[in-house]
Amino acid sequence: MAATPLPLEVINLKKRFGDNEVLKGLSLKAHKGDVISMIGASGSGKSTFLRCMNLLEQPNEGDLIVHGESINFKQTRRGREPADWRQVERIRAKLSMVFQGFNLWAHMTLLENVVEAPIHVLGKPKKEALEHGRALLDRVGLLDRADYYPTQMSGGQQQRGAIARALAMEPEVMLFDEPTSALDPELVGDVLKVMRDLAEEGRTMIVVTHEMSFARDVSNQVIYLHQGLIEEAGAPAEVLENPQSERLKQFLAPKF
Amino acid sequence: MIDLQGYGPRLLEGALITIELAVLSLLLSVVLGLLTATAKMSRNWLAHRIATLYTTLIRGVPDLVLMMLLFFGGQIGINMVTDWLYYQFDMDIFINIDEFIAGVVTIGLIFGAYMGETFRGAFMAVEGGQIEAARAYGMSESLMFRRVRFPQMMRHALPGLSNNWMVLLKTTALVSVIGLTDMVRVAEEAAKATHEPFTFLIPVAVIYLLIASLSEWFFAHLQKRYDVGFGGEECNN
Repeated sequence: MAATPLPLEVINLKKRFGDNEVLKGLSLKAHKGDVISMIGASGSGKSTFLRCMNLLEQPNEGDLIVHGESINFKQTRRGREPADWRQVERIRAKLSMVFQGFNLWAHMTLLENVVEAPIHVLGKPKKEALEHGRALLDRVGLLDRADYYPTQMSGGQQQRGAIARALAMEPEVMLFDEPTSALDPELVGDVLKVMRDLAEEGRTMIVVTHEMSFARDVSNQVIYLHQGLIEEAGAPAEVLENPQSERLKQFLAPKF
Repeated sequence: MIDLQGYGPRLLEGALITIELAVLSLLLSVVLGLLTATAKMSRNWLAHRIATLYTTLIRGVPDLVLMMLLFFGGQIGINMVTDWLYYQFDMDIFINIDEFIAGVVTIGLIFGAYMGETFRGAFMAVEGGQIEAARAYGMSESLMFRRVRFPQMMRHALPGLSNNWMVLLKTTALVSVIGLTDMVRVAEEAAKATHEPFTFLIPVAVIYLLIASLSEWFFAHLQKRYDVGFGGEECNN
């Protein structure tokens, strides 16, 4: 193992829903500063794969290693479960997730959303968290919305706020689950710009996306998933400009 | 002005008992209701069964019958235990069930079952993404309950909760059967003694109405507080 552990490593992960095996053995290594785009048709398992990484879904097989710490599992009557939920909570706090539907806490203002987990999960002093939170809102261009509730903001603002909430955790890896899919087209640009800035400052990011321009221009690795398997992976120039498999060629072909 | 014929202070004392009884029962029923709702939603088989048995039993038996069962039955049960202790170990203990505590426990138990269903519905109405975000940010179950589930559930629970409270308030009138002197009991006695039922029943009705109106105002206030952030406000972009 290298001197500094990888932010995230997934080894041979499998996931079944009933008899339906949706992930059939997926591995992934995220080095520090990697921006990995996961693409694929709906139903290919890309979101499920992402949700397994922070254990919002429980993988049936495979290992997850976050910053050198391997997650312990045990077999129960209900199937395979994490052996120690405290460990899971600790590890989740290192993998901030940005959701398709934003999922900002509706009963809190934007600033309260951003400082909530740093204060109550990480135990950060309130004053420090608020200062950091304001700085992050400033970064995503929402300082003037600090005291707004999520319902008072547009989708694009909510998603940028959700990114600020993710950043406030100072995570090892940021997980993005189709962050622009629920947005009106004219709001997508602002969110992508924030994500592009994060990539440039060396954040480790795993992004499930349909935005091919983001995958091509921003990420340094693209993974194409098909029916629960990695069909192609590599640098965006190889995968997107010179696809090998028929399916990926079809997937990338203009749809109209 | 109505002449209360010297029963005024006693009527007031009775009203105080009614209020104390109602408020304490409410607190107990809310705690029981939260526990019941949690048990019913948990994956634990035993907890689920016990909670279901509790709500089925309580909601299926008349309040008055339950009250007498718990009070008189409870006293008999305790007597049996203390008798047994006396004969077996020569321990001389006498426990008398206090009417007030019996009243609080019984009403609390009854309304705990209704609150349980109110809270269960309210917890289920919380949007899944809100809970998922809490999980994804490393919150433990108890932290999530305090910070997300409870505050978001309350706005759905309040209409049912205030309804249960109104019924609970009036159910306290039943405690006179176990010998507790609430304001209904005082009014009844006074009416019998003076042959002037309206002189006492009308003030009692007015007091109930007053408490009910005050609580409506209070619940409306709570509702407003828990609705914060859930639309209604103008989007002033």
